[in-house]
Amino acid sequence: MKLGFLSIDIGTILFSWINLMILFFALKHFLFKPVQKILSERQEAVDKSLKDAEDARERAEAAETAYTEKLQQTKEESAEMLRKATRKAQLRSEEIIADAKSEAAAILQANRDELEREKHRAESQLRSEVSGLAVMVAEKVMEREINQADHERLIDEFIDSVGDVQ
Amino acid sequence: MKIPAFLQGSTELSVTGPKVLASFQIFGITINFTETVILEWIVMAVIIGLCIFLTRNLKVRNISKRQVIAEMAVEAITNLVRDTMGKRWLSFTPYIATVFCFSIFGSLISLFGVRAVTSDFSVLITWALMTFILITATKIKYGGVGGYLKGFADPIPVMLPINILSEVATPTAMALRHFGNIAGGSIIMGLIYFGLTSLSHMIRLQVPILTIGIPAVLSLYFDLFSDFMQAFIFIMLTMVFISNAGPSDDEAASSAA
Repeated sequence: MKLGFLSIDIGTILFSWINLMILFFALKHFLFKPVQKILSERQEAVDKSLKDAEDARERAEAAETAYTEKLQQTKEESAEMLRKATRKAQLRSEEIIADAKSEAAAILQANRDELEREKHRAESQLRSEVSGLAVMVAEKVMEREINQADHERLIDEFIDSVGDVQ
Repeated sequence: MKIPAFLQGSTELSVTGPKVLASFQIFGITINFTETVILEWIVMAVIIGLCIFLTRNLKVRNISKRQVIAEMAVEAITNLVRDTMGKRWLSFTPYIATVFCFSIFGSLISLFGVRAVTSDFSVLITWALMTFILITATKIKYGGVGGYLKGFADPIPVMLPINILSEVATPTAMALRHFGNIAGGSIIMGLIYFGLTSLSHMIRLQVPILTIGIPAVLSLYFDLFSDFMQAFIFIMLTMVFISNAGPSDDEAASSAA
């Protein structure tokens, strides 16, 4: 027996409705529930790794800022040190130059003194030699002995007159 | 030479409903058990088997191709429901997916030479009634019974008969559209097979060789394309009617605020 082409059959409607409900719950249980569970798990994993990445980025940024600050500080410190060292070196060099100058002046002074003493000694030596020589010359000239004291007085007078001339 | 029956092609053409396999009486009402129900069970077994196969051994990472298909299917139907109905109606997704799968597989089963489940008008009546029930339930949920009844006299009481008619027309039109397309397609295909068999016999071919190949091209439209189209249209109409029965997302958001 066959139903009509456009027949509406209560039995078929009833069974079809039951079948529709069965398939609905089957799809819900066998397809949607497991797949949605896995999808939400994956979403959680993705969210977590995104959050981790964000945290890591923030940490890296903080570290970078700290590093930059430190670098800046170090640069300033080294510049300061360099400036100080330069100034110190300059002072030291000036000091050394001043020392050297004063030493040189002292040496010059000492040399001058030495020279002066040398001159005096040579002068006195010359004087004694000249006096002896003069006595001898005078003995020869005057053909007579005069005492040593007179000689020396005469020579002194002579030298002084010579020195005045000079 | 005697030609075996299965090689003789379609030598008769009849347009009938499904076979009745058993029939029994409950409270004086005749309940028929037709071949449609058996075919529905086959379709259901295929769909459920496919679901179990696809969702076996699901993982969060390193997913298999089967899992990709399952996830894509679920996401596609979820996105379709979200785009068509709105976020608040996502709980309807499994039902929409059920109707869609049932419709497609129920239509495509005709490719195996049996009656399509969807060429039984009673099946489409069932699905359309279900849509009607969901529409009405949604209207009552958001408007109350009074609001639902008052809707029939909207905008003026004179519109009452027209409103009732349009309320009834919705599921009727849906059922007839789907049934008409699939059943009509199968009748056309039957006519083509019958005609090609007759043509083969006319040019004295004992075996109807002309029925090889030519119907396949037409079957692409009348079976494959039409089946997908009708399943899609049916779920689209279901979604649109149900979501129109309640307030839209914007209205819900503004009333909640």
